[in-house]
Amino acid sequence: MEARERVQQSLRIRKKEGRIENSKNLEILKKGAKGLEISGLIILILIFGFPFLWMISTSLKSFSEIMIFPPKWIPDKLMFENYIRAWNSGPFLRYFFNSVLISISILILQFATMIPTAYAFARYEFKLKKLLFAITLLALMIPEQITFLPVYLQMSSWNLLRTYAPLILPFAASGFGVFLLRQTFMQVPDEIIEAARLDNASEWKIMWKIMMPMARPVLITFALFSFISQWNSYFWPLVMTNTQSLRTLPIGVAMLKDAEALTRWDTVMAGNMILIAPMLVIYFFAQKQIIKAFVYSGIK
Amino acid sequence: MSFWDRVKPYVMVSPSITVFLLFFIYPIMYLFFLSFTSWNLISLTKTFVGIENYVELLKSPQFHLVIKNTVLYTFLMVSISIGLALPTALWLNKRGFLHKFTQGVIFTPHIISLVSISLVWMWIMDPDYGLLNWVMGFVGIPPSKWLANPKTALISLVVVGVWKTLGYNTLVLIAGLQSIPKDIYEAAELDNASKWRNFYKITLPMLSPSLFFLLVISTIASFKVFDTINIMTQGGPIDTTNMIVFFIYQNAFDFFKIGYASAAGVLLVIFLGLMTFIHFKLLANRVHYR
Amino acid sequence: MFKKTVLSIVLATTMIFTMIGCSSSAGEAGDTAAGENKKVEIEFWYSLGGDTGNFIEAMANEFNNVQDNIKVTATYQGDYYENHAKVMAAIASNTQPDITMVEIASIAAFADAGALEALDEYAAKESAGFLDDYVTGLMSNSYWKNNLYAMPFARSTPLLYLNVDMLKANGLNPAGPKTWDELQEFARTMTKDNVYGFATPIDIWFYEALTFQNGGNILSEDGTQAIFNSKEGVEPIEFWQNMIKEGSMKMPPGEKYNAWDVARQDFVNQNVGMIFTSTGSLKGLLEQSEFEVGTAFLPAKKDFGVPTGGANLVVLSKSSDEKKQAAWEFIKYMTSTENSGLFSKATGYMPVRTSSINSAEMEAFYKEYPQFTVAINQLDYAKRRPMAPGYRELQEIIMKEIQRAVIDDTMSPQDALNTAAEEAQKLLK
Repeated sequence: MEARERVQQSLRIRKKEGRIENSKNLEILKKGAKGLEISGLIILILIFGFPFLWMISTSLKSFSEIMIFPPKWIPDKLMFENYIRAWNSGPFLRYFFNSVLISISILILQFATMIPTAYAFARYEFKLKKLLFAITLLALMIPEQITFLPVYLQMSSWNLLRTYAPLILPFAASGFGVFLLRQTFMQVPDEIIEAARLDNASEWKIMWKIMMPMARPVLITFALFSFISQWNSYFWPLVMTNTQSLRTLPIGVAMLKDAEALTRWDTVMAGNMILIAPMLVIYFFAQKQIIKAFVYSGIK
Repeated sequence: MSFWDRVKPYVMVSPSITVFLLFFIYPIMYLFFLSFTSWNLISLTKTFVGIENYVELLKSPQFHLVIKNTVLYTFLMVSISIGLALPTALWLNKRGFLHKFTQGVIFTPHIISLVSISLVWMWIMDPDYGLLNWVMGFVGIPPSKWLANPKTALISLVVVGVWKTLGYNTLVLIAGLQSIPKDIYEAAELDNASKWRNFYKITLPMLSPSLFFLLVISTIASFKVFDTINIMTQGGPIDTTNMIVFFIYQNAFDFFKIGYASAAGVLLVIFLGLMTFIHFKLLANRVHYR
Repeated sequence: MFKKTVLSIVLATTMIFTMIGCSSSAGEAGDTAAGENKKVEIEFWYSLGGDTGNFIEAMANEFNNVQDNIKVTATYQGDYYENHAKVMAAIASNTQPDITMVEIASIAAFADAGALEALDEYAAKESAGFLDDYVTGLMSNSYWKNNLYAMPFARSTPLLYLNVDMLKANGLNPAGPKTWDELQEFARTMTKDNVYGFATPIDIWFYEALTFQNGGNILSEDGTQAIFNSKEGVEPIEFWQNMIKEGSMKMPPGEKYNAWDVARQDFVNQNVGMIFTSTGSLKGLLEQSEFEVGTAFLPAKKDFGVPTGGANLVVLSKSSDEKKQAAWEFIKYMTSTENSGLFSKATGYMPVRTSSINSAEMEAFYKEYPQFTVAINQLDYAKRRPMAPGYRELQEIIMKEIQRAVIDDTMSPQDALNTAAEEAQKLLK
């Protein structure tokens, strides 16, 4: 501790000296740099934000306004009926419920399975560890488009095709989650655990009182990612469901497009907004949480 | 070691492993089996054809093109999305409202469904009504057909992919940056180390776990690209955006060539497995774990 | 604290499984309630979304209301090809529907695989002349190896759509061009500034049409030989290439249905004066265009000629006899004289029954919207789409090679088609 204080003190002194020497030139340079930086940030914000504004704008346009070029950003009259038309095009309440149910169920199951698994991979040595971890990695990288047919046939032989099972069970464990959490657990310094062991803390206690708080940011981040990716999942529910009552929002939205008739971009974008609005709301409130999570992920 | 101590790890991993075995390993084995058959999905018999599917696949110029496209796309995605994320992270890793806000905004595409993103970008890249050509017009770049031009279609998909993942990559790297203890920099400053030297000697090594993580995740994700292709280009024009997963899906479920598609699937799994293995072997030593 | 967490996870997990269980039993409960009347329950999968899909759904509901013996559950399963994939997967896992829509050029593939029930016997039990009332031009894709496998339902042909106001403004005949040469001339005249005279998706369907008009065909009559790389098949591409090069035709960017959509948007937006697209778009284009929309035959070369398109209804061979019979009843309902007309009016697809076309109601309708009549008259020149089990893949190959020739003008159309024909021969063996 003492050494560190001394270091910082000498640093402060050095910085002070430096500042006095070239403060004037620096000031001008800094102002220019600051202006440049702010305009850079604004450009970034525009690049990443404008498609959303454009989506909102289109969803409120009348059909004839959509195809005006150069584009018009604010419609003459806000066409909220686009939303009503999109919502009434199918059982959207049911889709919505299904999306929520499936995303949350998967999240809970993933937490239940990945925490012990990641802990075991990070902290224990056992014979089949390498093999089992390889299986985990394999699960992380196999695309759904490859596995769905066997899973479909399997589910049907178990008579589960008309239930939520094919939508939930294959995602009950996450290779990504295990991988991510294992990395985190591995970063917990051995000394901390040794110290806890010396205090006679049980394995459970170590896991829940030491590891978990440290992994909290990662868990929050994973929870958001998992929920978001399940919410947005399109391919799997499309191929796994043959009845309306099991379908989710992304499918309802994709169905707004008709192959042979003229696409109503206003309605499609309104449907899109219905699909992404919950995400944007969650993100709006959880954004601090995410960033905080990242900030505190370092070990003090 | 007691019996329980030996069994405990297995008990802890068993729920996950069961899921993986049932829904990933079994399907791969089934895929492997199917790859030696000729099957149209509904005929009762699956004719055993040996390695014929593989031979046909390796001889097919279309498959060669598909592999080339996939590798090119992956290379571009990984290098550009991480290459841009690193400076962006260094830049945005500051206090202050505007920096935080920008972090929030560039991350947003990551939470949006690829269906929505593809639809919006198709419209943005429309050669006639699209915003992109309109914006390019201000900078003096002549209009392009983007997705419809065989020369630019693949790079257009990369643009969409980078747009979607840059924010995520940046935030992961910012998290990595923030976990680097400040005293290391302070010590370096005492030694009068240059900024570049700091970056090269401290930041980069300390960031390597995050970079490694991103490298693995992006490579795998890029290799699996499907949704954007399916919605935006359908593999066209003239197969210039036909990539492996789309190729497999199309052969299996549009053309009902299950055996042929399975053979391609097996090759994909082997390739992905190999790549992950190489990544781990090559980088494990260099990566700085704390 | 951690005990609580564990407990809540366990609780939540149990809850989920209960819910999974519930949902499945809830479905069954619904089934048994309906079963009280001893109704035969059949499943119908359809493949048209948007307003058309809603109309199909409404027709199915109406069917459930007007009779007591059969209950149909109609479910949208994505576009034609998505539906095909789902039907195949469902057959493989014994969860197939009893009746579904199949795109007409794919009927050969499904029938050849044994997925479809032959309908000859069902039709034979109907009153004499039952089959004769179905429009002949729409029945040609229903047969495979001399058996009847499908009944026409949502059927279309390509039409030439005209912006009549624009034609008049250019002093052109508002009835539109009659021949390829006229088409090119009209297009040249109408092309100005940012407006193209003509656009068509470079799609197999329109390529088939032009080849037919030129006196050629894609496959030999028995479906075993590729003959599109003949002079008759090459000239359509040269024609397109030529018009694109001189700037009077726009090739709508995008793949598959995306390109179709662009062509329609361009038309509605008055950036293109004439387009080829399906009759299925007629209703939408009439509603959304702020100018007078005309329709005409696709222009002739040696003669007029078009393929038909859209989807037919088929009964799955794996269903029980009782359900097959119920499915047949449902087909008859969906394609009845009255319903065929209603469906046509609502969407633009063609009536599939001669009696429907001649009904007083439709005649009144045609008087009001003469644009609808064109498609029906054009049927006299309709040829069937190629019937071969591998055609679904072959059409992708042909389209790819055509695109190559059209986009990259270093490639000659003849070379491109020869490449495609070589591949085709492998598929048709």
